[in-house]
Amino acid sequence: MKTIRVDHLVKHYQVHHKQAGLQGSLRSFFRRQYETVKAVDGISFDIARGEIVGFLGPNGAGKTTALKCLSGLLYPTAGSVTVLGFTPHKRERNYLKAFTLVLGQRNQLLWDLPAMETFLVNQAIYGVPERQFRETLDELVALLNLEPLLTKQVRKLSLGERMKCELAASLLHRPQVLFLDEPTLGLDVTAQAVIREFILTYNQRYNASVLLTSHYMADVTALAARILVIDQGKLMYDGDLGVLVAQTAPYKLLRLTLEKPVDGADLSSLGEVESNEGLKVTLRVPRANTKEAAARALAQLPVADLTVEEPPVEEIIREVFSRGSDHA
Amino acid sequence: MRDLFRIYRALLQTAWARALEFRGQAGIWILSSIFPLVMMVVWLAIVDEAGPLIGWGRGDFISYYVGAALVHQLTFVWSVWQWDDDIRTGHLSVKLLKPLDPFHYLMTEQLGWKLFILVFLAPLVVVVAWLSPEISYSLTVEQFVAFALSVAAGFVLSMLMSSAFGVLGFWSTQVANLYSLWFGVGQFLSGWIAPLALFPAGIRQVAYMLPFRATMGFPMAILMGQLTRLEIGFGFAVTLGWCVVFLILYRILWRLGIRRYEAVGA
Repeated sequence: MKTIRVDHLVKHYQVHHKQAGLQGSLRSFFRRQYETVKAVDGISFDIARGEIVGFLGPNGAGKTTALKCLSGLLYPTAGSVTVLGFTPHKRERNYLKAFTLVLGQRNQLLWDLPAMETFLVNQAIYGVPERQFRETLDELVALLNLEPLLTKQVRKLSLGERMKCELAASLLHRPQVLFLDEPTLGLDVTAQAVIREFILTYNQRYNASVLLTSHYMADVTALAARILVIDQGKLMYDGDLGVLVAQTAPYKLLRLTLEKPVDGADLSSLGEVESNEGLKVTLRVPRANTKEAAARALAQLPVADLTVEEPPVEEIIREVFSRGSDHA
Repeated sequence: MRDLFRIYRALLQTAWARALEFRGQAGIWILSSIFPLVMMVVWLAIVDEAGPLIGWGRGDFISYYVGAALVHQLTFVWSVWQWDDDIRTGHLSVKLLKPLDPFHYLMTEQLGWKLFILVFLAPLVVVVAWLSPEISYSLTVEQFVAFALSVAAGFVLSMLMSSAFGVLGFWSTQVANLYSLWFGVGQFLSGWIAPLALFPAGIRQVAYMLPFRATMGFPMAILMGQLTRLEIGFGFAVTLGWCVVFLILYRILWRLGIRRYEAVGA
């Protein structure tokens, strides 16, 4: 059974253009120029119960717009969306109780009061029974180490502390579907790791479906086996992250640390030279030849150290986007 | 209904906590109560010069405007600016994600401030009224209950009126200005500039049928013992009628407008 079904979803906006300056303002006052922006342009996908899916795309690709359509904030221009059997834009009470949308750049916490006040308000709004509320809160407090934060004013919390409280506030009603839009935005590496681990634990404990966008590739690689790549409102890829890597980059990286510099021709015979900084060399080697190339390098060159690595996912994604824009 | 009661209790607690958090703002807010007293000074100057106006002497004007200062604080709401800001900046998204009509957030926020006014300003007005020989509100228990209910009804009507205008923000970014225009007309016809009893009969009859009187002139007329039972009943009927009109308008505009919401920013 699919939890989320998106069928040819389209969302267009009317954007009004205005030149800077007084003259531009006057012209815009009398004659407005509008442009239709195709934020989401006919995407389709399904997500199963308990699945974690990464949603990747450059800024303005349409990720957040799609999430907003899924959470009922936006009316789709065309196409259909169902989540847990509900049509999100109808905003039925039972649907609003069954999912959460965490926006990394938006805050639901009551800014001037301690986070606990928001938790209590959410308990009332979502109608969470007292016992379940206490159980969930204790669990979230333990997982996210919230104890020292509960009585501090939200505006006095650090960005990382605030995001932890934000997540707790969003999950107190135990939603079955999580839409996470840049949940680790601006956080340091340690805080990012805590949030990632927490999302994974929540997903496993409640078998919740998660659709996650992030600019940090580590978030996606750590959490999602399946990814959706979107660019200019269109779905470019839907599938396994590993398969995308193998398809887009049919090579691995052979990183060599040499004892002394070697001739460029010797390096080229092993594979395509990606960088050569004297004693540090990176080669692109076809996947099928990786073992052989590594053995030859060890045998023929003065190698002090050698590693074989997958190309960084960032590069792969960049590659997918550049192909997309070439086709456009 | 029990759920809504629980939600209101929780939201009111936070609204109250926030009102207490901003002590400075609360102080300034209470100080703004003196604005109706400016009108009182103007009318007192006229009365001192020209003698009583249509039976209204010094004591009547002082009683009217001291009471009006409190009534204004209890019935005035600023939700339209909040609606406008929420829709224009996309802050509404956070409220829309929850299983509760955003109206209730604004309603409880206003109620939190009203509670604050009741606790800190109302006793002050009572003491001033009691100590001042020129102020007199000769009220029966029945009239006092009618006064309290009329203030509550005036607040609810203001809230609905403000929200019906506020959701126009889905179509326009000029809603706050539009409401300011409406509010300006409203101040004139509510009894703020002058007690409605002093208006020419024609204008007064029109003012009695409009929604603005409910926010000041009607409760004040009850407080000053100027209305018969029938007149009080008529005032409530007009207030209730406008509440229904603005509630329906709000609901229709909300349903149509929400389709246009763009959830900008993040």
